[in-house]
Amino acid sequence: MRALLLVFNVKATTFLASLSSLRGQNVFKNLSSVIIFGGVALGVFLLARGVTAYLIQEAHIGQFLYHRFLSMLLYVFFVTVNLGNMIVCYATLYRSEEVTFLMGLPIAHEKIFLIKFVDNFFYSSGTLTLLGLSWLLGYGSFYYMPWYFYFFTIFAVLLPFMLIAGFVAVMVLMVLIKIAVEIGIRWLLAIIVGTYLTAIYAYFKVTNPVQLVEEVMKHYPNVNQYFGYLDAPFARYLPNHWVSEFLYWSVHGDAARALPHFFTLVITLAALAVVAAFMARRYYYRSWIASSDARALVRERRSPLRLRLLEFGERRMLRPKIDALVKRDIWLFLREPSQWLHLILMLLLLMIFVISLGQMELKLAQPLLQSVAFLVVFLFNGFLVASVSLRFVFPAVSLEGDTFWAVRAAPLSLRRLYWYKFWIAFLLVSAVGEALAVAATVLLRNDPVLVALAVVCTGFVSLALTSMNLGAGSYFAAYREKNPIRVASSQGASMTFLLALVYLATVVAVLVLPLTTYFRNLIIHGVASTSWVYLPVAVIAVISTGLFLMASRVGLAAIQRDF
Amino acid sequence: MIELRSVVKKFGSFTAVDGLSLTIPRGQFFGFLGPNGAGKTTTIKMLTGLYEPTAGACLINGHDVRRRPLEAKRSFGYVPDQPYLYEKLSGREFLYFVGGLFEIPTATIRERIEELVERFELQRFIDKRAEEYSQGMRQRIVLSSALLHDPLVLIIDEPLVGLDPRSARLVKDTLKQKTREGTTVFMSTHLLEIVEELCDRIAIIKDGRLIHDETQTAARTFNGQLEAIFLELTK
Repeated sequence: MRALLLVFNVKATTFLASLSSLRGQNVFKNLSSVIIFGGVALGVFLLARGVTAYLIQEAHIGQFLYHRFLSMLLYVFFVTVNLGNMIVCYATLYRSEEVTFLMGLPIAHEKIFLIKFVDNFFYSSGTLTLLGLSWLLGYGSFYYMPWYFYFFTIFAVLLPFMLIAGFVAVMVLMVLIKIAVEIGIRWLLAIIVGTYLTAIYAYFKVTNPVQLVEEVMKHYPNVNQYFGYLDAPFARYLPNHWVSEFLYWSVHGDAARALPHFFTLVITLAALAVVAAFMARRYYYRSWIASSDARALVRERRSPLRLRLLEFGERRMLRPKIDALVKRDIWLFLREPSQWLHLILMLLLLMIFVISLGQMELKLAQPLLQSVAFLVVFLFNGFLVASVSLRFVFPAVSLEGDTFWAVRAAPLSLRRLYWYKFWIAFLLVSAVGEALAVAATVLLRNDPVLVALAVVCTGFVSLALTSMNLGAGSYFAAYREKNPIRVASSQGASMTFLLALVYLATVVAVLVLPLTTYFRNLIIHGVASTSWVYLPVAVIAVISTGLFLMASRVGLAAIQRDF
Repeated sequence: MIELRSVVKKFGSFTAVDGLSLTIPRGQFFGFLGPNGAGKTTTIKMLTGLYEPTAGACLINGHDVRRRPLEAKRSFGYVPDQPYLYEKLSGREFLYFVGGLFEIPTATIRERIEELVERFELQRFIDKRAEEYSQGMRQRIVLSSALLHDPLVLIIDEPLVGLDPRSARLVKDTLKQKTREGTTVFMSTHLLEIVEELCDRIAIIKDGRLIHDETQTAARTFNGQLEAIFLELTK
């Protein structure tokens, strides 16, 4: 126990020292962090309040349907926390140098497991916790809930809910590591990705939000008699259902019906913690050894991938310096499974999004609704582009790593290196963004003006998001961090992502009025002047170019700092 | 060939290097000594452009590293104190990469790699990924990368750490040969016997300041006294 406390004490001291450091960059980082996180928390709070008020008071969807939507949202939240923990978990529990160090000390393996689990949980769930709490505050304030409701819900309901997701992640991982030794890590990761995608698809297929709305609205306002039919049987056994039920009965002031769901959550968490502790005692060390052995075995059995054009010794296709950088980056990417697997996963999600969009009937008769549908799809596109940029562009400078000495001591201008990174990233991000924009707009409403609008706006959005992520990634560069996923989930990355969301919200706000006018003219008069869309495009161009210039300036200065 | 003009490096209120001035002529083997934290690595990092001096200037082959970094960097090869490599690239790929950054034609890089493989006995592991390398293997690859473009100046931070006796001998012989060919070598190390064996001149710094500068000639050698001098000056 003393060893455990000592390690946690060292971690807490290190964390506090990093917070209290008075170095200029650190003070700026912490101050910006407070402003941005605070701003976003306020935004989510207001959004939660506004959406709840709109759905309950304006759209009259009723408490039941609202809480079913909340349950679905919580499911996505659960899967995100779970997946986030699992992705970071492998690096934290199995590949971290700290674990290697701790394994050499007289500390029980299950304690090392606990230390790294806590580390992993807070690292990978921090931003999501903030979003969850802000949403809860907004939701609760709409219902005028008393202070103890928040206190109780945060510590006794939301925290266990997230811990369940975290425990499930590490337990599954321990089992998977053992299987990975048999079938290989690449196959295993492919199976995990497939299973997760199937789970998300199956959940929404069974709980079908469209069908849910149709069924409820058919019998509106007497929806309560359909309560029993609407819950899929398996959904009752999921933690998101228990949280939404707890909230549903809490806002009705029925503690007797709310508390059983809280107890179910806590008992499940306790059971999982016991099982995880048991598994950690029996399997953690063995799976850690198996993981190390498997990595060594993979090296032995490795059959090199040959791409003649990209071989270093072959004829150069580009100028020598760029050729060397391009070949290096491609090989480092292809040889790091966490990089290409994550890319495949993201591209799969994008495909699912486009296919789902194709199956939805979104040519609506009401101008405002049509405008909302277009903007929601556009916003989602932007969100996906922001996610891709965060995951792959933000870590680009950090990935130079400790070996940056070789580049910095070579006759290569760092400005040139920065722009090389920018153009490569911009080309890839805008290719993804434009493909999404065209596909989504054509499926939504095959109107050349709208397609052109989406393409131009996405171009500017890609420019702004790429430069923001590269600039901030350069400013917050962590050359010592080898894992790109950890770089992309660091404090600086979270701030950048939240800023990106603010930027996207601004872009959408600029588009609302002109688009609604455009749709009104189109739907009512059959024709619409395109001049309605020129002005917002100009505003978006100015904002995006401004961000591009600012971010590039910061990034260029940062990449030239002492190494 | 190498010139430091009143170089200062401050990190906040801490002064790591304090007004250091040195001139090292062509073909000289220069040993840079000092206790831990004296400012040796900081000085080397300023020479190689990894740190920017707070004041003063570092010149290599007549080029100011801050004002004309590309010209300066073309003329030196650098071996850092920690031989970091790209874990997912092989030694050969790393050498091609560095050669590309120095704009050496591919055919020339190929020839140079073959020479270096031979010289440093890299055959067994040159095509394996760096993640499989020992410290000594990494050190030999990094040294090869510094010699790849046949530089006029070699800046080396602790070149013999982690090397087995045979590899250490290879490195020492190579460095001696390079100085005979006219290359200037700036070497920082804690191994005093190596300094006595190899260096024409030594300088000792303490708390960022130069406290001793001495040239070894045929008539005046350290004769095993360097350790005593070092301990006396740095106590």
